[in-house]
Amino acid sequence: MRNNNNHKEMLILQGEGVSDGVVFGNAFVYRAEQYVVKEEYFEPGHEDAFVQEWEDARQTAQVELDKVFSVLDNVSGEGRAILDVHKSILFDEEIEEMVETTIREDKVMPASAVSKVFDIFISIVGESSDPLIAERAADLRDVRDRLLRIMRGESSSVLSHLPENTILVADDLLPSDAAMLEKGKVAAVVNEVGSATAHLAILARGYRIPTVLSVPKATVLINNGENLIVDGHDGIVVVNPDEATGRAYGDKKRHFDKKTALENEYQDRKGLLRDGTTVRIGINIGDDREDPGYSSCDFVGLFRTEFLYMDSQQLPTEQQQFEVYRRVLELAGDKPVTLRTLDIGGDKQLPYMSLPEEMNPFLGKRALRLCFEEMDMFKTQLRAALRASVFGKLKIMFPMVASIDDVRHAKSVLKAVKKDLDDEGCPYDPLVPIGIMIEVPSIAFIADLVVTEVDFASIGTNDLCQYLCATDRDNAEIREYYQSFSPAMFRTLHSIVTAFNAAGKEISICGEMAADPLATKVLVGLGLRNLSMNSASTAKVKMELARFTLEEAEDVAGAIMSLKTQKDIIEYLKSL
Amino acid sequence: MICRMTEIVNPSGLHGRPAAQLVEAAKRYQSKLTIRNVTEHGEPVNAKSIVRILGLSASKGKTVELCAHGEDEIQAIEDLITLIDSGFGEI
Repeated sequence: MRNNNNHKEMLILQGEGVSDGVVFGNAFVYRAEQYVVKEEYFEPGHEDAFVQEWEDARQTAQVELDKVFSVLDNVSGEGRAILDVHKSILFDEEIEEMVETTIREDKVMPASAVSKVFDIFISIVGESSDPLIAERAADLRDVRDRLLRIMRGESSSVLSHLPENTILVADDLLPSDAAMLEKGKVAAVVNEVGSATAHLAILARGYRIPTVLSVPKATVLINNGENLIVDGHDGIVVVNPDEATGRAYGDKKRHFDKKTALENEYQDRKGLLRDGTTVRIGINIGDDREDPGYSSCDFVGLFRTEFLYMDSQQLPTEQQQFEVYRRVLELAGDKPVTLRTLDIGGDKQLPYMSLPEEMNPFLGKRALRLCFEEMDMFKTQLRAALRASVFGKLKIMFPMVASIDDVRHAKSVLKAVKKDLDDEGCPYDPLVPIGIMIEVPSIAFIADLVVTEVDFASIGTNDLCQYLCATDRDNAEIREYYQSFSPAMFRTLHSIVTAFNAAGKEISICGEMAADPLATKVLVGLGLRNLSMNSASTAKVKMELARFTLEEAEDVAGAIMSLKTQKDIIEYLKSL
Repeated sequence: MICRMTEIVNPSGLHGRPAAQLVEAAKRYQSKLTIRNVTEHGEPVNAKSIVRILGLSASKGKTVELCAHGEDEIQAIEDLITLIDSGFGEI
């Protein structure tokens, strides 16, 4: 693929910059392969097996999509809307019926059946007189290609094995491809299609990978291995830069990197206010990878366990969970790890478990409520966690607690599990602290009562805000109603923190607010000393902490309490 | 069986997200539900299928007809028409 011209001309391409940063690197050109599916038939008698193969592929595809969902958890609702469309296509009843008929009646192999049926709809939708609707043919192709890839038995992508400093140049990256980026070595992304609201853009920002979308013919104009500069701010891609251009972008890169470096200087420091007051910094993790940032934190404030359930085809066994929990505890060493029990249900489903369709999933059988129903599943997780507790400093936390009844119920299950372990002579740490997430208003308002029932609590500001404001945080259309800086939020936080501090019990915060430097001063002023966030945010929050004293923070928190609207509060905080 | 017509009012028409929302809503009902693009003299298609709805090309200003047949047909038509008329939160 290498260009044989000795003299390579510089070429400047303009696209849409959707994720900031300047990167120098080498191109890796990636075209979504156009698999030609041959029309293949089978001998009668194998219908059930082949229909099953198609069913299985759909289940696997759903698990993949859910994984992307979980990656997007901290990013935004926009990407999820697109994935909702993909899921709707995946489980479309017309497609289902036609594929099944094609397999059963025409004896067509499942992959060719999928290809045939999808192609019918791709051409119908693609020919729509409305360009916006015609664009949706891309979503159909995406789902088709995912299914075909799964049916070929391929799960890992070439994208996870790239050399360092690769700039990925693609024609049309799939969400499943994009979800691989974080684990790979991709320094920047250039894509022929897409815009700032595309799922790809949202993921790229989440991973902090400089990205330029909507660069037509990029995979034709750029050759493998060529030198590139990507400017994710202005949407520029320079191919084979000459010396002067290289220098100019070198300056730009230094400027951008300096800003980042300033933050990074704080990476390995402790969280300290200007007057020396300590604020403990925690990280939120969602898998058992080797280093999510343990060295730059004091504790793991939230260990999400959903990945164990979403990455597999059936419920994870006790032993599988035990090994993962043990590994995380050992990696974290002497730092406490707060394991949150399964938070599934609502919008997050498990393909191998049929849950009733609900009108209001977020107000439905979610998390702890589901666990109480699926007692075996709940007990298995608690057993695995307790058995792992001897390998580190484990804490167990229950999500979606809405009343003291819930707390007592969960604790009684834990007690029963402990008794079983005692009877079997299985070792565990009997002093594992037990806590709750405070994310439902009905428990937030009785913080002073619940405090006597638990060892600690952590405030989940995302769900708390969504329930407090009666606003779906993933619905972009009503974003203005999701007011995480509203007076109601800060008053609620204030009463929770005051109750826990008065009782001498640990209180922390693990929602998105903990990662927002604009909120840091208020949180500290309200009395919080434990902030847990995604590890990408710890440096900037530590830098913010170093700017003020406790007295200043308390004054700001006091001043907030008399402000009447979110707008007033944000304006005031920005003016400081 | 009951049928009702209405006009698509949301700016982007029955494209991805509104189509997915309509399917999700339609699936809550037992009734058989169909929708057709009256303006373009289209055939009725399954309203519980996103690929069929996308194939309608029901952009803003087009008139569609919804038909429901089954025990909960009245409620189904009522709710789906309300959803379409609400503009799927886009307006």
